[in-house]
Amino acid sequence: MLTLTAPAPGPRPRLHVPWRDFGTLLGLALLMLVFWLAAPGFLTERNLLNILQQSSINACVALGMTLVIVSGGIDLSVGPVAALSAVLSASLMVGGVPPALAVLAGLALGAACGLVNGALICFGGLQPFIVTLGTLSTYRALALIATDGNPVFGVPPAFRAVVNGTVAGLPTAVIVVLVVALLAGLILRRTPFGEYLLAVGGNEEAAHIAGVPIARTKIGAYMLSGLLAALAATILVGRLGAAEPILGNLWELDAIAAAAIGGASLMGGKGSILGTLLGAVILGTMRNGLTLMNVQAFYQLLATGLIILLAMLVDRFARGRA
Amino acid sequence: MSLAMLPAEAPAAPPRLLVQGLTRRFPGVTALGEMSLRVRPGEVHALLGENGAGKSTLMRILSGVLKPDEGTIAVDGEVLSFRSPLAARRAGIAMIHQELQQVPELTVAQNMFLGRSLRRGGLLVDRARQEALAAEALAPLDPAIRPDAPVRSLRVAQRQIVEIARALLDDARIIAMDEPTSSLTPSEFERLAAVIAGLAARGVAIVYVSHKMDEVFRICGRATIMRDGRFVAEVDLAGTTESAVVAMMVGRALAVAPHRSSVRSETVLSVRGLTAGTRVVDASFDLRRGEVLGIAGLIGAGRTELLRLVAGADPRTAGTITVNGRPLARPGPRAAIAAGIGLVPEERKRDGIVPQRSMVANVALPSMPRFAPRFLVRRRRLRAEAARLLAEVNLRPMQIDRPIRLFSGGNQQKGIIARWIAAGTQILLFDEPTRGIDIGAKAEIYGLIERLAAEGRSVIVVSSELPELLRLSDRVLVMRQGRIAAELQRSELSEQAIVAHAVPRSPRTA
Repeated sequence: MLTLTAPAPGPRPRLHVPWRDFGTLLGLALLMLVFWLAAPGFLTERNLLNILQQSSINACVALGMTLVIVSGGIDLSVGPVAALSAVLSASLMVGGVPPALAVLAGLALGAACGLVNGALICFGGLQPFIVTLGTLSTYRALALIATDGNPVFGVPPAFRAVVNGTVAGLPTAVIVVLVVALLAGLILRRTPFGEYLLAVGGNEEAAHIAGVPIARTKIGAYMLSGLLAALAATILVGRLGAAEPILGNLWELDAIAAAAIGGASLMGGKGSILGTLLGAVILGTMRNGLTLMNVQAFYQLLATGLIILLAMLVDRFARGRA
Repeated sequence: MSLAMLPAEAPAAPPRLLVQGLTRRFPGVTALGEMSLRVRPGEVHALLGENGAGKSTLMRILSGVLKPDEGTIAVDGEVLSFRSPLAARRAGIAMIHQELQQVPELTVAQNMFLGRSLRRGGLLVDRARQEALAAEALAPLDPAIRPDAPVRSLRVAQRQIVEIARALLDDARIIAMDEPTSSLTPSEFERLAAVIAGLAARGVAIVYVSHKMDEVFRICGRATIMRDGRFVAEVDLAGTTESAVVAMMVGRALAVAPHRSSVRSETVLSVRGLTAGTRVVDASFDLRRGEVLGIAGLIGAGRTELLRLVAGADPRTAGTITVNGRPLARPGPRAAIAAGIGLVPEERKRDGIVPQRSMVANVALPSMPRFAPRFLVRRRRLRAEAARLLAEVNLRPMQIDRPIRLFSGGNQQKGIIARWIAAGTQILLFDEPTRGIDIGAKAEIYGLIERLAAEGRSVIVVSSELPELLRLSDRVLVMRQGRIAAELQRSELSEQAIVAHAVPRSPRTA
């Protein structure tokens, strides 16, 4: 009978082998091997923790970016969203609002910025690239206007102490990002929303006919991206002790690079949370290692560009020509 | 299979196309195993086989897209070494693909000279000369096609003629056509048949790939039948029958099943005055429980549009849809799905499947909330139920974690049917349920549709294949120019009756 019954729990799904993530991990291992040989002091516990801490901001932004990319979109506005939310929460803190509340307000503003992005895309019928290119300037302008272009100083030391502290030997920022990654992985792989993200990015028309709530799914992705950009801003404000309205410049590019190195397809429908984390660490390792080797900034930029292209070429040839 | 196994032939001129021992392996499968094919000049030669028999692989090798592992291809006795699509074109082999490969925004002439434009002074494109040559090539085929018209503005049939004209400009000696009639109206088919006859008269060898047996028997002289990547037989079509050919294709005889009716009394779906612009105008009909309602009509008569309106995939401008006495208030597929309506679209790749996702994920897509009562998806339960339904619809192979794009068309269709059963759908809307599906799987899909009806679900089938409608339908609506032109009861059903109502009347007689 072609009927609905409640079946007994069946066998466990066969474990999905994340070959692509192994590849990213291998790339990271190779990179670390090179720096271990070339840069004295690279492979120390302190420096490795340093790399993780330096990568945490980009990783946080890139996790949100991954969800958006999986849904078939792109979010170019993450940097200005971060600046806007940093300026808001820092101003609130300076004005005497309890830091926890101020941070929540900043996160809410980040999500609201994402809501505007998503709504323009879904109901305005515009391309994600164009919408977020527009809000990239708009949000940045709002941050500059709100502060007259001046940094917000005087963030309470208590707040800074929490953000810059450690939990069980790991920097707080690293712990926060790990928790976020765990949640993002859960969302992408174990919730209907995650399935909808993959479906909308994989084939929007088919998803529409299959009853996937397209608008709600896309808007959700942009809200999460805005939220995580705001969270990254919180970490940065804690680290710097001030909120600059120009903060977050070019964050979108680092985030896209981390997601792409980690295996996300800019065509949508494909992406890996673990891969994005590794991608962010690869970028962080590059910068750290090259700095230890006293490589000039211009050459660091060159090396970063080449490593992205190399990673993409290896990915392309590993998958074979379509 | 060696050439020795082909029927003996007088040793006259070498065949125009001679394929021998052609083999191509992919990881895990031999897509083509020692395949042979022989086509004489001026012959219209059918290449027949089920989906997955290796026809596309052979086509892709012929057009230079794919390299063979072993074997030879000779044109007029000259063995080719294929390195690229360009080399194949230079050797005189042209390919008319099922999905036409044209740039819609460019003109007819620009498309015909794509990648080898005529130059003036070595730099500027000589559009005038291109258009003159294009017009010359088009004239004997369809003089109504203007060389300066954008390809976008042409109908599919005309775009096909453009491709053929382009092949003639290339001095093609062999033209291979892959399902050229899949979206043509009967009169367009007649025109194409005449064009093909004309090409053959000029000595061009035609390789004709189609699933439509009646067409093959009408326009082809001989046929090569393949199965599982191998040569099965070369036959003279005049000396054989359709069922004999089909039996060779599937390796067994297929029984022709009679119609089975499971119509109950209660009405489950009432459509009144459904309208969307001029594409669908004032459509009204009822559907009963257990009924299979066929919808016939020419391409563009509004059949697909009507189905999409009922499924909520497109917005309606007027009219009501009532399911079990409850009108659908909100627009969109989600409201329709909640009311128990599910669409099985014609273009699976475009509208049906999420290609990279697994079979299981594709089945579960509309039912996700049911499998995630508390935020997290209960994956084991989901997988178990999907597996049970996929076994019910006889998915083969039962590798349900494989991406759905790796399955054949028939299996993908079974997956979509399982999807709607999982979602508790009571009214299934099939748009061309067997388009792009092999003959063996076709019978299975028919069986599934009949089973759905027998178990009390209701089905609407839009189809261009009249035998399909005659086999499945309890009742047929014939659409013409956006309207429901006729309703035929089972007792009144015949191909002639359907065609009579489907063909547009000229304005004078209407």
